[in-house]
Amino acid sequence: MSPANSTKNQAAAKSSQPGVRSFIKPTFIHSPWAPAILGVAFVIVAILIGLLLGTVTDFGYTRMAQILIMMVLLLGLGVVTGTAGMIALCQLSFAAAGALVVEYMSLYHIGDYFGQWSFFFYMICGALVAMVMGLIVGLPALRLRGVNLAVVTLSLAFVFDITIVGIGFPAQKTGTFIERPFGIDGSNDAPALGATALVILVIAAAIAVGIVYLQRSRWGSSWKMVAFSERGTASAGMNVQVAKLSAFIVSAGAGGLAGGLFEMIFRQGVTTVYGPYASLVIYVLAAVVGSYLVDMAFFGGILSVIIPFILTRLSWPLYIGDMLFGVLGIQALTTGSNLGEDIRRGIRKRGRAAKLEAIADIPREAGKIASVPIPQGTGKPLLVVTDLGVQFGAVSANSHVNVTVTEGTILGLIGPNGAGKSTFIDAVTGFLPQHTGTVAIDGLVIDKRSPSFIARNGVRRTYQQDRVPSTLTVGAYVRFVTGGKATRAEIDEVLDFFECPTYYSPLSLVDVGTKRLIEVAAGVAAKPKVLLLDEPAAGLDHEQHIAFGERLRQVPTKYGVTLLIIEHDLDLVRSVCSEITVLNFGEVLASGSQEAVLSNPEVLKAYMGETELL
Amino acid sequence: MLVTTFAGLTPGVFYGIIGILLTLMSQLTRTVNFSQMAVGMFGGYVGMTMIQKLKVDMWLAAFVGLIIAAALSGIIGWIIATWLPNAQIATRSAVTVAALLLIVSVSSVLFGANHSNFKPLLQTNVAEIPVAGVKLFVSQNLVVLLLFALVIIIGSSLLLKRTMFGVRLRAISDRQAAAELIGVNVKVLNVGVWVVSGALISIAISFMPNTISNDYISFSLLVIAGSAAALVGSFKNLWLALLGGVIIGVLQGFVASLPAFAAYKEWVTFILILVFLLWNQRKEVWDVAR
Repeated sequence: MSPANSTKNQAAAKSSQPGVRSFIKPTFIHSPWAPAILGVAFVIVAILIGLLLGTVTDFGYTRMAQILIMMVLLLGLGVVTGTAGMIALCQLSFAAAGALVVEYMSLYHIGDYFGQWSFFFYMICGALVAMVMGLIVGLPALRLRGVNLAVVTLSLAFVFDITIVGIGFPAQKTGTFIERPFGIDGSNDAPALGATALVILVIAAAIAVGIVYLQRSRWGSSWKMVAFSERGTASAGMNVQVAKLSAFIVSAGAGGLAGGLFEMIFRQGVTTVYGPYASLVIYVLAAVVGSYLVDMAFFGGILSVIIPFILTRLSWPLYIGDMLFGVLGIQALTTGSNLGEDIRRGIRKRGRAAKLEAIADIPREAGKIASVPIPQGTGKPLLVVTDLGVQFGAVSANSHVNVTVTEGTILGLIGPNGAGKSTFIDAVTGFLPQHTGTVAIDGLVIDKRSPSFIARNGVRRTYQQDRVPSTLTVGAYVRFVTGGKATRAEIDEVLDFFECPTYYSPLSLVDVGTKRLIEVAAGVAAKPKVLLLDEPAAGLDHEQHIAFGERLRQVPTKYGVTLLIIEHDLDLVRSVCSEITVLNFGEVLASGSQEAVLSNPEVLKAYMGETELL
Repeated sequence: MLVTTFAGLTPGVFYGIIGILLTLMSQLTRTVNFSQMAVGMFGGYVGMTMIQKLKVDMWLAAFVGLIIAAALSGIIGWIIATWLPNAQIATRSAVTVAALLLIVSVSSVLFGANHSNFKPLLQTNVAEIPVAGVKLFVSQNLVVLLLFALVIIIGSSLLLKRTMFGVRLRAISDRQAAAELIGVNVKVLNVGVWVVSGALISIAISFMPNTISNDYISFSLLVIAGSAAALVGSFKNLWLALLGGVIIGVLQGFVASLPAFAAYKEWVTFILILVFLLWNQRKEVWDVAR
């Protein structure tokens, strides 16, 4: 077992001890000001280093600017390839579009309304054009799963390059150069290049800080979520295509800005920079370093400038650098790892053992959970499923299923394996649009609606399989699932109620059973009208089971969330459900009050005949 | 106009063959193989270097190129089958993007600025068809490529549907773990598919019209036209993939004959990809597991 695993298990063991919550204290990194402060600090340090290096080496300002521009390109690409897990192969086409727009506007004085600041207006226009390009390309490619985006972006990179080579950059064709911002003179002397590099430094740092804030926002969570599970994303009320498209457009925008920065330093576009080969290189480099992490994007920028520099010094072919990236890329992509994560893991391995000890365990006060009776509800039908049918080829997974969930109650949906329970939840939550029959929540008909629409309109669900991405923290996950509607205090309260790890705990340290609890807690925190729980207690030990049941009984009154629960453990069903529906071979075998259903001879027969299921 | 449009038929069939191979690869190994053309390109340049430096026979060089391409493809397949046996299609395909970069950069280092076009193995025309006052030339290459495409389509369909071996191949593509449990050697079969696809693309390249390629990257990126062709068949239907390739080739030939648009003939592929993605996306598909 690897050390990383053993620490993980330690943490898991800790969090699964009854009455103990792992607790991670918020540090400076968690503060909302951290990225901005670090960004400013980075700029100051970089200026100091620049002042030192600019005078003592020939590794000059132009290279500094190139490193920063590469960082912006890599960071933007990192959003779509690293965070959102897609393949995009046209990052330099976006840069070319951005550069082209800046050059046209500057040369022909289109939109120079802002005097010395006009250059930034051009850059923003360039970024917008790149984003529109991203929208046009991304829209058809991102609806389906798979590698469509890779195909279409590679194709775009190819045709865009041919076209740009064909029409050429206007400055290059006319033998002119565009003006730099703030009246910085156009020469390649040290003061002019230094001043330009400084402007690029500030802009690049601002872009980096902006992307970090985006990564930390609900959008960032949706990108991490969609990389892990599309179903999970949709169930949280986030449209999967919107999540993917937003990642791609942010990436395109960063590409467009990088193109503008190229123009700022070189004052003239060069077609050879933006070809599809360069886009391939940068994609692989992004995968190798893990460029969704700012420091690694910066490191990637350094690599992409230093390696050619060294190769030129040695008079070796420049392609050797790309060969190196190719080999490292195959390694990184097959192991699903990257330099950034490896380094972080290495650092954590050292610090983890000590840190685990430092994690304060909050002992539970015994009997804190008040014991309440099984909720009886208001009597108002809330979720009404009529004549639901689902057909998989010749197999009828659900047929003529009628289920009514009363407001304020907990309905148990039980039945042997393969009875169609999870299919029922899939159909109700919009994942099986081919189903027949109708589904209505509080009078609103929701069948034939998208999963994200259904989730936003009050029907949420949890999954049997792990749909909680370990790339997020507990708090970011819950915040994402609640659609940003729950306040920090509410999230902390729900996490506390379900004895989940605290807000800043990384989900990568949480075991599967606890992840399921967090999923339930997040579902409750989202305050849907009905929450459908698919075997929520699997993976919990006996004592946790009992405590979980106690908490579930409180949910309808405490949070105003009505529950439907699929569960094999009849003890749990007995302890929380006022009403039970039994499915067998896709049909309702019995339905009614707990006592009536559990004493029904048909139900007993269905269960006793298959004792292994209990 | 008619002549150039008709001349697009040969590259069209060639794109169709790439599309067919991409479809087969995606069906049998769950990978969209972006290095499909690159392995053939590498083999081809090895062969051409042999012709230029060692003065070997063209057919021998083509054979050596085939062996190299098949081996190279096999290595990539082996890497993916070993380390990513159960990964999603996007993860597996990403590896082939890195492989594409590696092969192109290695070619640049090994073969330098050797950008001379490959010469097809066959040079003569089979027939001349006089139509509307002009002559349309049917080259031997067109006939061979078309026959080759038909052999791959019919052969693979027969193999997959009629033989025990084919059943095994389909088993590993559908449920790899299940196939493994009943004793199918998944890895060997997987790598086998890669080797064969490398060999097949190499054969196709040997008969490729010498109008399409120039440098390592453009050559390798012919995989774009191939994937557009495969998209026409939704990466499922081999006949539609061939048809897609022919449509791209002929349309490109037609656009090339219009002086105002000739420079933009590559946009045909891009637009076709967008159109077919829009067409295919009518049905939304969720991942199976819940």
